[in-house]
Amino acid sequence: MSVVTKFIKRGLAPINHQIRYSSSSEVAKYRSDLFSLEQKRQREDVGRVEKIEVRYLGLPEDVTLVMNKDLSTPYNCAQHLSEGHCKRSALALINGSVAWDMHRPLKESCTLQLLNFTVADPHIVNRAFWRTCSFMLGAALHECFKEEAGLQLHSFPGPNVKSGSFVHDIVLAARNWKPTPKEMRTFSAELIKLAAKDLKIERLDVSNALAMEMFKDNRYKTEQLPSISAQNNGQVTVYRVGQHVDISRGPMIGSTGQLGRCTISAVHEIGHEGDGNGIYRVQGVALPIGIRIGHFAYGILEERSSKLNSARLPTEPFEEHSTEHAIA
Amino acid sequence: MNQADVSKLVSQLRIAVNARHRNLKNPAGPEGRLLKLRKTVTALIKHERIELNYNRADEARGYAERLISDAIRYGDCHKATMETADFWLLEKQLVHKLFKVLVPRFENYNISYTRMFRAPKDYPGPSFERSVLELRGNPYPPLYPDQSQNRNLIHNVLLDEARKEFRKEKIAEVVSKTTASESIEERKPGPNGSPTS
Repeated sequence: MSVVTKFIKRGLAPINHQIRYSSSSEVAKYRSDLFSLEQKRQREDVGRVEKIEVRYLGLPEDVTLVMNKDLSTPYNCAQHLSEGHCKRSALALINGSVAWDMHRPLKESCTLQLLNFTVADPHIVNRAFWRTCSFMLGAALHECFKEEAGLQLHSFPGPNVKSGSFVHDIVLAARNWKPTPKEMRTFSAELIKLAAKDLKIERLDVSNALAMEMFKDNRYKTEQLPSISAQNNGQVTVYRVGQHVDISRGPMIGSTGQLGRCTISAVHEIGHEGDGNGIYRVQGVALPIGIRIGHFAYGILEERSSKLNSARLPTEPFEEHSTEHAIA
Repeated sequence: MNQADVSKLVSQLRIAVNARHRNLKNPAGPEGRLLKLRKTVTALIKHERIELNYNRADEARGYAERLISDAIRYGDCHKATMETADFWLLEKQLVHKLFKVLVPRFENYNISYTRMFRAPKDYPGPSFERSVLELRGNPYPPLYPDQSQNRNLIHNVLLDEARKEFRKEKIAEVVSKTTASESIEERKPGPNGSPTS
C-alpha cells in the first residue's frame, strides 16, 4: 500500500475524495501577499521618475531606448522591439557580462542584449533555465501534495545541466515512500500545467527580517536564511511564480511559458529526520520551448535523469568554497 | 499471377506517396491538372525553393522526385527518360540543368531529393494550407536553424553528457569482465599442479 494515494491530491493518481483544508495554500497566499506589498513599497520608494538610456544591441537593429530608472525592466525594452522578442527572450545581458532577469528593474544606463535558448553561447541561459525548472518543480509539488503529506520544501542545489537532471529536495512526513509511475506522471502534468499558464517569474530583494516573516512556517528555510543574508549584505533574493515564493540566488528565465517538454523522472530518499520525516530528492529533465529532439533521444535523457543526482545533499555540511550557494 | 513486381520497374521514392492521386479541381479536366503540375515541377527545378498551396506542392513533389530519380537511374542517353524530362519541364534549358546539375548533386543521396515544410498562412485570408517545397542542397539560407552543430545548446549538452556516461559504463563493464576472466585463469592449476593464487 503506497502512502501516496493518501498524499497526492488529484490528477492521474487515485484520488481520495476529502475536503481539503488548505493551510499550506493559505501560507502560500500569505507569502505572496507579503511579496506583493513589498514589491509595491519598493516601486513607490522610487519617487520622482528619472530617465536612463538603454542601448539595445542585437536584431533587428541596435537602438537606444529611454527608459525609467528602477522601474523599467528588460521585458519593457523587449516590448519596444517586437512580440517575438518578448516571448522568446529568456534572460537579459547587461553591459555584456551581467545576467539580468527579464522582470527586474534596470538601475542605470547600460547596454542590453536579450538572450534566448538558441544564442551562440547559451551557457548562462541554460543555467538559468535549469534553476527555474527546480524552482517551478517546487511550485508544482506544492500543488500535488495533500495536507496530510506534510510537504516542506527544503532547498535546491545549484543548477548543473551536465548532471542530466534538475533537483528539488523536499521533506515528507513518511519514510520509504516510493511513488508509482502514475504519480510521477501527475508531477510532470502539474509542471506542464504551470508552463501552460505562462506566468511571469518575478524577482525581489527583501530584507532578512521580511524573509524570516515570509518563511516562518518553513523550519528549513528559516535555518538557511541567516547565512544567505549574511553573504548578501543583509538582503535575500526571493522569486515568485503564481503564488509560490521561494528563495533563490537567480537569475531565472522570464516566464513559465518557456518550459517546453518536461518529465519528473525520479524521487530518491536521501535521508531522514527522526523516525517520521524522510528527505527526498525529486529529479526531472526538461527542454525549453523551441528546442525539439526525437522521442528516442528524449528517452535517453529521461532514463539518465532518473539516476540519483550527485549534487550536494541537504544533510551534508555546506562547503564555504563552492561557487554555487546551497540554495542557488 | 505473372505480373512483374512494380517496385522493380520504377524507382522507389524516398517520400510517402498517397495511394490515390489528387484531382486538383480544374476546368480543363485531367489535362489541366497535368499542366498545373508541369508548371510546378518546372518552377521547382528552376527556382529550387517555391511557396504554394499544400495540396499542389505535395502532388507535384512526387512527380519531381520520380523525374530526378529516373534521370539519375538512366542518364541522359535514355530516350524514354529524355522524353519524360521534355514533358515535365516546360522550359527546355532546364533539361540541361536536370542532367548536368541535379544528377551530379543527388546521385549519392540516400534520402529524398526534395523537402517540404508547412508555411504560415495569412489571417484572415483564404484557408488553404500553404507550404514550401524545395530541392535539397539549394543555395538559399536554411529555413530552420541548424541546432545540431552548436554543442552548447541545452539538448546537445545533455546528450553529450549522456553519451559520455554510457561509454564510461561500457568501459567499466568490459574491464570488470576481463579482470574476472583473468582471475579465473589465474586460479587454474599451474604446470606444477598447485594453484597460483
